[in-house]
Amino acid sequence: MPMYGDLGNKLVQHAKRTQGLAHLPPYQTELVRAATREVRDLDKDVASLLEPFQGSFDPTADQATACTLLVNHLSMRRNKRCLLAYHRTRTDKLEELAWNGTDILELAGQQAGGTNGAPIADAGEASSLSPQEEDYFRQYGDLLAAYKGQWTDIDLTGSLEPPRDLFIDVRVLKDAGEIQTEYGAINLTKNSQFYVRQGDVERLIAQGYLQKLG
Amino acid sequence: MDIDDILQEVDPSFHTIPQEKRDLQELTRAWVAERSAPELLPWPADGLFERINGSIKRQIEKVEEMTGDMDPKTNFALIVIQTELERFKYLVRSYLRARIAKIDKHTLHYLSTDELRGRLSDMELAYATRHQALLHNHYLSSFLASFPPALQNLNDTAGGISMIETPDLESAVFIRLLKNALVEGRGVDTDDATNMQVNDIVILRWSDAKPLVEAGSAELI
Amino acid sequence: MALPLPPGLNHSEAAFLAEMELVTVVPRQRLESIELLGGKTPPLRPLHRADLPLWLALLLKKQRRANIVPPPWLHPSSLAEIIHRETKEDPSAFSPPPPAPSRADPARPGHAHQYDTTTTTTILSPPFLPSSCTAAAPAGYLPYHWLEVAEQLLAHAGDDMAGLGGASAGEIRGLLRDLVEVRAAKMRSSAAALEGFGGGLMSLRGVGAMELAESRGFVLGVVDGVRKIGAGAEAARREREEEEMAGPGLGLEDDESDEEMGI
Repeated sequence: MPMYGDLGNKLVQHAKRTQGLAHLPPYQTELVRAATREVRDLDKDVASLLEPFQGSFDPTADQATACTLLVNHLSMRRNKRCLLAYHRTRTDKLEELAWNGTDILELAGQQAGGTNGAPIADAGEASSLSPQEEDYFRQYGDLLAAYKGQWTDIDLTGSLEPPRDLFIDVRVLKDAGEIQTEYGAINLTKNSQFYVRQGDVERLIAQGYLQKLG
Repeated sequence: MDIDDILQEVDPSFHTIPQEKRDLQELTRAWVAERSAPELLPWPADGLFERINGSIKRQIEKVEEMTGDMDPKTNFALIVIQTELERFKYLVRSYLRARIAKIDKHTLHYLSTDELRGRLSDMELAYATRHQALLHNHYLSSFLASFPPALQNLNDTAGGISMIETPDLESAVFIRLLKNALVEGRGVDTDDATNMQVNDIVILRWSDAKPLVEAGSAELI
Repeated sequence: MALPLPPGLNHSEAAFLAEMELVTVVPRQRLESIELLGGKTPPLRPLHRADLPLWLALLLKKQRRANIVPPPWLHPSSLAEIIHRETKEDPSAFSPPPPAPSRADPARPGHAHQYDTTTTTTILSPPFLPSSCTAAAPAGYLPYHWLEVAEQLLAHAGDDMAGLGGASAGEIRGLLRDLVEVRAAKMRSSAAALEGFGGGLMSLRGVGAMELAESRGFVLGVVDGVRKIGAGAEAARREREEEEMAGPGLGLEDDESDEEMGI
């Protein structure tokens, strides 16, 4: 028979491992169920231990029972703490994903598909989120959207790197025709030079039409 | 003679600073402090962020008006305005997110007393309350509801250990003196008290720095 | 997590802050005053010096619309003087910060009376002091954001930094490197001293923002570690001191009873 505390330890180990991962590993449904059941069993034990005393238990008179009661009590609280830590670690991760702008479908896809959209061996397998976690992720997303909505001009989920080089000098390497910017159209003819908003031309730089200067 | 010159003679710390510059100084100071303090600091009561948010909104509208009819090559003013706008947006964003991160980490703590709740803005309070409710619901539906009723609380303190985690107020911080002041700091072997000068930079425990910062005699750096 | 950053400003945040320092420019073109969130910019006229925040001065410089005047502390003779002070005069401390500036705002003479004077209790500090990095800054003192400002100026306005006094940007870079090294060694020895430090206050007067960003995690980690390891001893000391404070009468009685037992 396993020692009391084993399940809690396993949950904490899972939580620790999760902290170091970029993705969310599968929810440990069985482990959570077992740790919860253990708490209920311990509580029943306590009730049946106390039953003969009819509410007049004297710890000093029956030290063996008192000791068992204490151990049971501590074990229940320990399981509770471990379960809370396990779930909190995962909700922290879910919240981080929400701040990064991941949506629920993306999340499910990422969990099932592994990285780089590689063919999935276990495509039929369910999401690694529990149904309750899926609910939580959705609800937290709504909460975040509501808070963000109070600060629309700030773009709360924007970059946490200090802004640098909002505008840059670019040289046109090959004719790219006309592009629309915030200030109107710019005609990108070869060898011409412009001072433009970096965000407006990032794709053209990546595609080799423009070269960033300085 | 100008009244300001006279005032400055009687009180050398007196100076007039335009509102915009004062707000930028206060915004920057609030940001650095929030990024450095181990606990959540009070939301500025003087409407600083509401004022700055309003200015940002107006500036964005101005940019939209200006973009319509200008030559992209010569419109240097617009470039300057937008560059500065991004800087302000970043400051406010980083500040707000530093606060939310602290609130998320110790939600129950910041909701536990009137004094602590008073540090949050109305929006933050609404966010924190709802966030805590979501978490509690999540725990309930995941496992807590199957627990014996006596064990379903999230804030029990049985066994002398509170389940409410709190920030470590004894963490060390760096401060800069803004006024000459007596600085007291507790240490392992000795407790020190030294008269310090403007511009002095000191390492000490946050709990010892806090009264100086709250009195405006020092700032976190 | 809403903010995945450790407490305290990091490198890029300190550099961002430094870009708000005022520097002096010599405009090459006219530019009308612009109403910015941080206040109006002064109107620019060719060859008429004006003070602007560093980020704006760099924007003008990159567009060849202005040159930047090096702050006097960045001159080779000033840097050499500071190095001398840091190595010879007081090898254990950072050289002192610039003297506290006059509280007046010299960028806006005569304009002060236009503003509300009832709420002027804001005390300015870096990066908003009026003349830490302008042409009016004192030579021989390093302002709080010295390294970030110097790096930006050399990277983007190296030609402006050279010239005066016949120095080359390379010479200035060399002196800055020496200064960085001298001061980094001081930071290391401060951190080492902290490991056996039992007091409650440690002064780092004269330290720069980038130097703090560099060693913040380590230094604060040491201080917190010393506190946690010594927590028991500290609590015992406090208890003892409280007893001593509580009243000599009680202590005396204890002593007497101890003596009686000895007899």
